[in-house]
Amino acid sequence: MSTSGANPSGGRRPGATKAKGKGRKPITPVKVNQGRAWGPIALFTAVGMLAVAIIGYGAYAVIQGTKSWEERADAIPGIINVRKLDPEHLQYERHQPGKIEYTKYLPPVGGTHNDAWQNCMGDVYDAPIANEHAVHSLEHGAVWITYRPDLPKDQVEKLAERVRGKEKMMMSPYEGLDAPISLQAWGYQLKVDNADDERIDEFIKALRVNASIEGPNALCSSGVTATGTTPQDNVAGHSELMPSSSSAAD
Amino acid sequence: MTTLTEIETPVEEATPGRPPARYGLLALTLAIVVGLVLGYLAGLLTPHLTRPGDDSPEAGFARDMSTHHAQAVEMGLIAYRASDNPKVRQIAIDIATNQQGEIGMMQAWLRRWKLDPTGAQPAMAWMPNGRDMVKDGLMPGMATPEEMDRLRQARGKDGDILFAEMMIKHHIGGIHMVDAILAHTDDEEVREAARRMKETQQTEINILRQLLDEVKAS
Repeated sequence: MSTSGANPSGGRRPGATKAKGKGRKPITPVKVNQGRAWGPIALFTAVGMLAVAIIGYGAYAVIQGTKSWEERADAIPGIINVRKLDPEHLQYERHQPGKIEYTKYLPPVGGTHNDAWQNCMGDVYDAPIANEHAVHSLEHGAVWITYRPDLPKDQVEKLAERVRGKEKMMMSPYEGLDAPISLQAWGYQLKVDNADDERIDEFIKALRVNASIEGPNALCSSGVTATGTTPQDNVAGHSELMPSSSSAAD
Repeated sequence: MTTLTEIETPVEEATPGRPPARYGLLALTLAIVVGLVLGYLAGLLTPHLTRPGDDSPEAGFARDMSTHHAQAVEMGLIAYRASDNPKVRQIAIDIATNQQGEIGMMQAWLRRWKLDPTGAQPAMAWMPNGRDMVKDGLMPGMATPEEMDRLRQARGKDGDILFAEMMIKHHIGGIHMVDAILAHTDDEEVREAARRMKETQQTEINILRQLLDEVKAS
């Protein structure tokens, strides 16, 4: 009896008083801990930053990607933009037959020209061609690569690799050039010393077809395929009915 | 056991006083506004991010097929001018105008995709093993400058035969490229155009083969 009576009372009492003492004191620390839920805040911040980064990168890529070809051409170091510097130079009333004096920019980058254009179907000409036809090709969106006749063969080959088989491209040696290599598009010129210069590819990427005055459908075929600096009549395929090498004589 | 339950009780009592309702409303409003802004920006950007990129098969196809077509136009116009066979002239002008029209369509795609007509990659890089198929800058089926010169100077029966043979070879190469884009794009507009090109060129090959037999027999 005494054991059964003493045991429960002796066992419970200390426990009860201890619980009371411990139970009241912790209230304050627990409240302080609940001030901020750092877990969710960190999660939302991370997700938010990720979203902003993705959107930001996308916006950057889009803005970079939508830079106009004119802006990208102007960003090429050393390029001459005659469309901006000298727009009157590029204006003309009508085609002009026969020999035309081009003096301001050599090789020429625009202005009046013959009826016939030089064939610019990736043609690699091994001799100089007529400015009067080449300028017409530029108007149709061709990039014309010219090089000084003394340019080493391996350099010439590197240029030719960028031309062969590609429409709206042509290339020819050019007598009296003041740089080893010069690139022309309608209203644009870039002179470089070396065929490894990466500005050559930038020039072609920005301006081939894009620089066309008549849009992407202007022809590069049905042009003069003969070399020689004397311009010739190609109207209605006249010269195409002759062997391509014989027609330069006037 | 009993000690634990007695400790937990005060904790539960402290909970209801924690988040004042007005902060919850503010956070909700902010979340909705931020969500709308992000959604709007994503909507603006998605068409730009999902359109074909500079190195995509679609862009490569549009560029390379423009180049490939341009030579077919050249061959067609040469035959149209030079031939005195009405059947040859008929198919020559049909091929030339049709392929020139398709060049315009593909160039319009590139403009819409805000891409240059000139890619940063070499020709045919969009096709598996495509670069190996390019010889001296020429894609499958394309004629060499020497062959083009020969076509320019050929006349009469010889010219007609040369034109038909060169165009058949050209079309077979073109169909090979069309098959490659059909295997690599799910852009419905590109697929539809590619299928049409394939059907047209296959029909033209049949016509040219028949024409070739006729001319040879004449």
